[in-house]
Amino acid sequence: MIDNIVFQGCVGLSLAMYLWLISAGLTIIFGVLRIVNFAHGSLFMVGTYLAYTFYGQLALPFGLAIALSVAGTGLLGFVMERGFLKRLYGVDEAYQLLLTFGFILILDDAVKAIWGGVFKIPPIPDFLDGALTVAGRPFPVYNVFVIAVGVLVAIVLWFVFEKTWWGRIVRAIAADREMASAMGIRVPRVFSGVFVAGAMLAGLGGAIGSPVRVAAPGIGTAMIIQAFIITVIGGLGNLKGAFVSSLLVGILSAYGTLFFPVFELFFIFVIMAVVLLVRPQGLFAR
Amino acid sequence: MNKKLSGLSAVLLNLLVLCIGVAHAQCKLGVPVIKVGVQGAASGPHSDYGRQIEMGSTMATEEINAAGGILGCKVEIRFMDDENRAATGVRNARLLVTDWGAHFLVGTDSSGVAMALGPVLAELKRIQFFTHAATHRLTEELVAQKGIHEIVRVSVPVYQDAIIAALIFKDRKDVRRWATIGADYEYGYVSWNLFKETLKKYRPDVEFVGEAWAPFLTLDFAPHISAVMAQKPDAIFATPWAGEAVQLLRQALIQGVFDNVQVWWQAMGGSVDVLEGIAGEVQKDRFKGKLWATARYIHNWPDTPENKAFIERFTKRWKRYPNYSAETTYSAFFIMKAAVEKAGSLETTKVIDALKGMQIRNPGGVRTFRAEDQQFIYNVPAGRPMMDPKYPIPVLGDLKVFPAKDYYRYPPFTPVSSGK
Repeated sequence: MIDNIVFQGCVGLSLAMYLWLISAGLTIIFGVLRIVNFAHGSLFMVGTYLAYTFYGQLALPFGLAIALSVAGTGLLGFVMERGFLKRLYGVDEAYQLLLTFGFILILDDAVKAIWGGVFKIPPIPDFLDGALTVAGRPFPVYNVFVIAVGVLVAIVLWFVFEKTWWGRIVRAIAADREMASAMGIRVPRVFSGVFVAGAMLAGLGGAIGSPVRVAAPGIGTAMIIQAFIITVIGGLGNLKGAFVSSLLVGILSAYGTLFFPVFELFFIFVIMAVVLLVRPQGLFAR
Repeated sequence: MNKKLSGLSAVLLNLLVLCIGVAHAQCKLGVPVIKVGVQGAASGPHSDYGRQIEMGSTMATEEINAAGGILGCKVEIRFMDDENRAATGVRNARLLVTDWGAHFLVGTDSSGVAMALGPVLAELKRIQFFTHAATHRLTEELVAQKGIHEIVRVSVPVYQDAIIAALIFKDRKDVRRWATIGADYEYGYVSWNLFKETLKKYRPDVEFVGEAWAPFLTLDFAPHISAVMAQKPDAIFATPWAGEAVQLLRQALIQGVFDNVQVWWQAMGGSVDVLEGIAGEVQKDRFKGKLWATARYIHNWPDTPENKAFIERFTKRWKRYPNYSAETTYSAFFIMKAAVEKAGSLETTKVIDALKGMQIRNPGGVRTFRAEDQQFIYNVPAGRPMMDPKYPIPVLGDLKVFPAKDYYRYPPFTPVSSGK
């Protein structure tokens, strides 16, 4: 029994890391730009498709393919922010929702036009194929890789935000946009940078999942709902909150599948409901 | 000049009227054209199934029209995306019939959409030929019990997913402990319940040791796989389909599942998209011969001239192999044609009467109409995915063929639980 609990916890941990990668970008963008980016899941989807093309079709080395997919998703984020979102910063939030929702529809149809309606799945790279032994059972090397990437991203983000000058600027803008601007910080430029970084995180989440999770139209919508739940649980715009609530949701929902298989569908919502009842502002919101 | 022009246009107009007159005169059903509304899931991760329905219906229409139509009447189709959602499917059906004037409806992928459509068809007084939705309740409950005769099903229901599996594995004495990784909706529940019920009859010693349910759009099956593997099953009964089937199998492989189970039944794993998706693993024999699957039609069976010719025309027309929803939809059009020709009418009641006793040769084999539940009966084998030098993608081989009478359920139908 203990073995099964340990094993399921490890599976939940890898699940949590995908959730973390997508909700990290969503949270950063919301925290700084105050934009609820509905299309964030679609950026995740684009990352998956790009990884399929670079790795599955063009047969580039896996690491390079991931880097290119992340860059490509960042580029798309740049176009979205500079070309469209920028114009809506001053107006009612409903317009941002409409615009980002429009992006979901456009990107879903765009991937179908480019890659077709059939799902795509590249092979697993040889060096990530295989299994380790965890609690007496085979645990996929691939999931270890995903956990490693997730933790690495968490460390890098912590370092950037807490220890670098750039991070201090971003935090300053998040705290008081006008004051930061008065101090001579070029806010629009930082906005673009933050949006691109958020898009790249979504692209990374999508790309590293490509060999085990298919690329298909509509997967972005599946991800965005979970990502929103996580950011709500963690506290909107709070990076630490997003990390902890990703772990919470990932691991608890894995246990839910093990112990209460019949309630699988509701489990994540139950967690959210409990958190909202106890701490409506989210776990880590100030 | 003006006079000359108007004279010319008068002549042209007369010609046009004459042509229309001739066309009308040719159509013996008194309509300008027979309209068929087609629906399937054309967006989201299962969108290839809707696309296959569209390809099958388009090709059937082209062939029927090229051969003179139905009683001289041309057929026109209009395809709509039901987004795999009941509300959309119902709205589309109403629009197709009341606004566009459809005489018949064809298609529908999801069981949930199909169950919602049933009562609406009775209200619209239009027959729908269902070509994919698989819950047995569509025909057993809505037709046989509630008497909604506007429902006709051309594709084989969950008898294929569940009962045939029980028949194959009842003789495997080494397989006693079964677990399911099921689709978390009607289709997954009824398949698992029907499987358990059938297998228990032959093998009182089997145990059903675990279940995990995955909703639509599940991206990570790892928790489901590890949850059921914690129960140390001998075999897995899996119902996720399309891309989700491929993901599930790949994630099972990297958790070493195929080293620990004897059998993995992937119900709709014989679908062309799934076979393409697992081609690399099949080539390397990663499933160790333990993976079994079926479909509602497989393109490498039966070995008949009709099927061969169909495959040849289909691959030439679309540059792809037909999936089962393409064949069932294609065949639905020829069933409709035969029924309308026999009825000599487009009236719903007359066409349903004409279906009675029908036996028709399709690419998928001979289909026989069963009046009690308006289900067409034909058989599809199950087998193991393997490479065949004749095909560029894996196909089902080591085929187990059961006559339809051995694995279809028969009226009077006893209820099967449709819950988890």
